[in-house]
Amino acid sequence: MTENSARHSEESGTIAAAPSKLYVYAIVPAGDYTPKVNGIDGSPVHLIGDTEGPRAIVHTHDGGPYDGADDDVKRWVLQHSEVVEDGWQGAGSVLPVSFNVIVRPDAESGATSTEQLEGWLGESKGALSKRLGELDGTSELRVEISLDRDTFVEANDEVRRIKDDMEGRPAGVRRLLEKRLEKTEKELADREADDLYPALRARIAEQCLAIEEYRRPARNAGKTPILTASCLVTEPGIQNLGAELTAIQNELTDTEIRFLGPWPPYSFADMSDSVADMSGPEAQKPESQEST
Amino acid sequence: MADDAIMQPTRDPRATLPDLIEVLLNKGVYLNLDLIISVSDIPLIGVNLRATIAGIETMLEYGMMRQWDEDTRKWVQQSVRAHLPLAEDEEIIAKMAGGHYQDNFYRTWRPGSAYLTSQRLIIHRRDPAETLWQAKLSSIESITPLSEPSIGGEERIRILVRLDDGSESKLSALEPERLIRLVQEQRGAALQPSTGRVSSSSSQPLKQGRMWYLEALSGGGTWRGGEGTLTGHDLTWKSPMDSRALVRISASQVRNLHWEKHDNPTDKAHILFVETERSSIRLAADDIDGWYDELEQWSASEQQDPAVGNPREKTDEGESWH
Repeated sequence: MTENSARHSEESGTIAAAPSKLYVYAIVPAGDYTPKVNGIDGSPVHLIGDTEGPRAIVHTHDGGPYDGADDDVKRWVLQHSEVVEDGWQGAGSVLPVSFNVIVRPDAESGATSTEQLEGWLGESKGALSKRLGELDGTSELRVEISLDRDTFVEANDEVRRIKDDMEGRPAGVRRLLEKRLEKTEKELADREADDLYPALRARIAEQCLAIEEYRRPARNAGKTPILTASCLVTEPGIQNLGAELTAIQNELTDTEIRFLGPWPPYSFADMSDSVADMSGPEAQKPESQEST
Repeated sequence: MADDAIMQPTRDPRATLPDLIEVLLNKGVYLNLDLIISVSDIPLIGVNLRATIAGIETMLEYGMMRQWDEDTRKWVQQSVRAHLPLAEDEEIIAKMAGGHYQDNFYRTWRPGSAYLTSQRLIIHRRDPAETLWQAKLSSIESITPLSEPSIGGEERIRILVRLDDGSESKLSALEPERLIRLVQEQRGAALQPSTGRVSSSSSQPLKQGRMWYLEALSGGGTWRGGEGTLTGHDLTWKSPMDSRALVRISASQVRNLHWEKHDNPTDKAHILFVETERSSIRLAADDIDGWYDELEQWSASEQQDPAVGNPREKTDEGESWH
């Protein structure tokens, strides 16, 4: 595996001898930004690309991809995010590159990794600059609204009826009724979430430049997710969105709201042409939309 | 301080670390690998066995497999093999969330992922690892969409697979139509075409089809593609990117229905404007005239016969908040 090579990457940082690779953190626009932080495991970072065009924040990398124990991966991911964050704050706009993206030299043409990356930056200059311009001064916020099932079903007649029915029943029957109760509660909460969703999404979308839902990997027991979305906002947008969420929380006491960020616009760095004009996330995969 | 009352986002790493890791592994990964690989030929490696498996699988979901270079493909095959045994020359073509309807002693949907390989269609669960259902592509006699109501009454498209031994299985998938098409592509012309044959196990929608919805954002409106469905009790519109239907109105809620001249992604000059007590909805479709007629009838019938209630009617005071 590649574990060892990744571990040893920082000791052997010479460019001339072995064909070095470049670990890429982010793309920043033209300007006088210089990175103020170090990268993964303290690797010194530098910029690739000419001062006129978009530039890439990289470190010279001699190993393979980072691979190791979960705690190591967490640390590396955070160190990666610190570089992205520095670019975001220092350069005003950033296209985050994901963890473990490494450019290597081209053996056939003899181009170094730096030349490879410079070539790519040159070719993609138009699209990159356009997207960086669109993302200028923006942040990503995450909003997660879920329904607290216990609070929600408390007053429900059907639930109360099943609960009353359970009183004094033998254990076997109770177990069956408990199962039915749980199913009923989930269905009721899910239906409520369906009903709440359109207005909540509309209220939140109105405060965002773009909104994109994501799926939460781990679900909280006892909670029915209503809306889980990444929001692209400008600086004043953070306050506006916060105010809207405050209003929602006050109106809907049985919901729970998580409000995270502000982060660099990780979820909105998509560069595919169709998305660059903000025509909506579906445009990415029109093939899935064909009607039968 | 006046701001005290306004909810502030948190950056506290103790609360946000898992989210941050998820976003860096998932979001960045596929966007940029896709970007770089498809834009130029820079050989790229973006691999971390355990950490990026989620990202890699997301890429599979986006069907980017064919755009990858040889090394990346090989690596993906390997990493998928770690939890899903594949034959030597078997290649993964697509993957999406999916499930299998177990219809024996227990009748239940078992969730996992639907994998389409060059040889098989598989419903597999990673943790704990179990192949819930599988079939050789060569044994599939037909694969067709099946519309049926899910919990909450919403119509969902399932997948009905008929094998050459006469058996039938019901599957679910995040994008059922896309999966069906991919299976058919993979099987070639050998499969019977299923275009438009949505059989229904209960109430057939009055009308269903591709529809655009104008979503209001802070910078203006944006048209989003999705599917509109009109049944006896409600009109819904849902994007495959969203978790729930963004439009859900019953006929009795419709206050006003009229044409509006508006730029839209179709060739039509007009869009449909639906006004309810709570919202103003703008919809576009290639077949917008058909939708208009159908909706007009639908909302009119409701007005004439108020006894036909909304079956989704609430059982509590859930609407008082607005």
